[in-house]
Amino acid sequence: MKPKIGIIPGDPSGIGPELIARLLTSEGVAEVADILLIGDRHVFEAGQTVADCSFDVVPVSDTASWTNTDCGFALYEMDTIQPEAVKTAEVTEAGGASVLSTLDQALAFAQDGTIDAIVFAPFNKASMHLAGLGHDDELHYIAEKLGVTGYISELNTLDGMWTSRVTSHIALRDVADTISEERVSQAVHLIHNVLRRSGVARPRISVAAINPHAGDGGNFGTEEIDILEPTVRKLAEGQMSVDGPWPSDTVFLKAVAKEIDAVVTMYHDQGQIALKLLGFDRGVTVQGGLPIPVSTPAHGTAFDIAGQGRADVGATRAAFDIACDMVTHWDNET
Amino acid sequence: MSRAPIALTCGEPAGVGLEIAEKAWFALKDELPFFLIADPAHLPGSVPHKLLQSPLETVQIMADALPVLPHPFAAPRTPGTAQPENADGVIDVIAHAVDLAMSGEASAVCTLPIHKKALKDGADFPYPGHTEYLADLAGVDNVVMMLASEILRVVPTTIHIPLADVPTALTPGLLEETIRITAIGLETQFGINSPRIAVAGLNPHAGEGSAMGHEDATVIAPVLNKLRAEGFDIAGPLPADTMFHTAARARYDVAVCAYHDQALIPIKTLDFDGGVNVTLGLPFVRTSPDHGTAFDIAGTGKANPSSTIAALRMAARMVQSA
Repeated sequence: MKPKIGIIPGDPSGIGPELIARLLTSEGVAEVADILLIGDRHVFEAGQTVADCSFDVVPVSDTASWTNTDCGFALYEMDTIQPEAVKTAEVTEAGGASVLSTLDQALAFAQDGTIDAIVFAPFNKASMHLAGLGHDDELHYIAEKLGVTGYISELNTLDGMWTSRVTSHIALRDVADTISEERVSQAVHLIHNVLRRSGVARPRISVAAINPHAGDGGNFGTEEIDILEPTVRKLAEGQMSVDGPWPSDTVFLKAVAKEIDAVVTMYHDQGQIALKLLGFDRGVTVQGGLPIPVSTPAHGTAFDIAGQGRADVGATRAAFDIACDMVTHWDNET
Repeated sequence: MSRAPIALTCGEPAGVGLEIAEKAWFALKDELPFFLIADPAHLPGSVPHKLLQSPLETVQIMADALPVLPHPFAAPRTPGTAQPENADGVIDVIAHAVDLAMSGEASAVCTLPIHKKALKDGADFPYPGHTEYLADLAGVDNVVMMLASEILRVVPTTIHIPLADVPTALTPGLLEETIRITAIGLETQFGINSPRIAVAGLNPHAGEGSAMGHEDATVIAPVLNKLRAEGFDIAGPLPADTMFHTAARARYDVAVCAYHDQALIPIKTLDFDGGVNVTLGLPFVRTSPDHGTAFDIAGTGKANPSSTIAALRMAARMVQSA
């Protein structure tokens, strides 16, 4: 059975629709998965016009038994935004509302088994907030819709190197006090599970230090000695391959050299600096801790180039490939 | 007339420095002149060496042997074990190099790693490191540490302190002084007129309108505005995570960062061996390799000289640009 991937076009004002057009006309995509497009027909068509490529769609009447055929990709047609309401490269409430409607439908399809995974093209947070997102980000919105109460976290991946972060969108001043054994342990377990479910049999995980030179034996901070070292020791006594804390200026080189699969970072910029300099346009975000695979390109709606046909499909393709891998390996024991 | 040679100080003789000095000579003997200040009895002897009476003789000797300006130490070398009894020698060699740089007999100073505990135990060395000692010898109050490679230059405004202390240590005065010294250093030692300076935000997304920390708006931005009004070419505070990809790096000559790892993650991830330590604010050019004494491999001949070679090359290029 091929993975059944639900795809939504993201914010119609951004590069999402053109990315989906490029993705669906990329080599091999149609062969590896059954794809259900969820959204407005005119949005998908506009993307094809901008990207100057085309694909066929077949409207789905019965979502209980759909599949892709030689006639085209399945389309669950929605009416979330009027064509004249689509304002390229603008933050709009209508764009945000369209995103929330298509996302809600995709989540409903994931819950009733119509699809196995969701890939979404970039959302615009400002537009979503205008439309009533009601959460800090889409991960927390999705978690609430799915009734998830456990630990959730955004994971980032690039060329087989994964990162997660123990703290995210908080002031640097608050980072040290927020690091705890519980949070580090949850982050390590989560990335271990997600990597297992993406097909890595024995994920090798390194934990980044918080202080320069990993604290230099306590000279530049004691969180390594007080929190990180005992936590990692405890985790390593179990089945997982986990080590650290490593100085964060060299730990990413271990991942680049493929000595490890994942780095658990302590704060936002620690991992994001490394990932974005290694592949600014190719990173993927996986929403971790959900009952279904959800992935998206790590970049945003790119209003500076939206509608120009210049958007690079690389990260979207990587997000699609990871979603397929995760469907295949989802039942791996974690 | 050719320029004066670069003075290379031996650092802790029990570490890998002397092994690296010999390898660096082999790599650079036909490229640029430098001389080592060391106790000749400490030399591992993997390459020929010749003793100097004066640094002036370096150029004639360079192609055939490692030029060594002799400086006697108290004890023989014991690789891999800290030697407090040699602390005075290590400290005096650095002072000797600074004298030669101040007098013009050396064009620059490149320092091999010291072992701070050995210096403290053996000679009550009161400085946290090389840089502060060099500043004192040169009679300057404030210097700036820069890491430089072929593709990126970064300056950490705060350095070896806990991450939790960074927001408090990052004062307007420190940031302003750091940017001023950096700008002057790039102009006078790198030949970059009106250097383009990118300043990283402290918080994620540079605080995003103070939603995630106020320092970007209340501490960093006012300093940058003040310096811009004086004519400095400054961008920032910028979100640190989008400052270091290829296209972003083309927009500036140096990235001034808030803390150690914000600066060190990008430079080491991009070019692990090519990163060189440069001290700006001294009245002479000073570079050093970006590693320590590596006692665990001292004496084995395994030490990698590439960072020292890069440091000597960087010093030579800075001397030419000055």
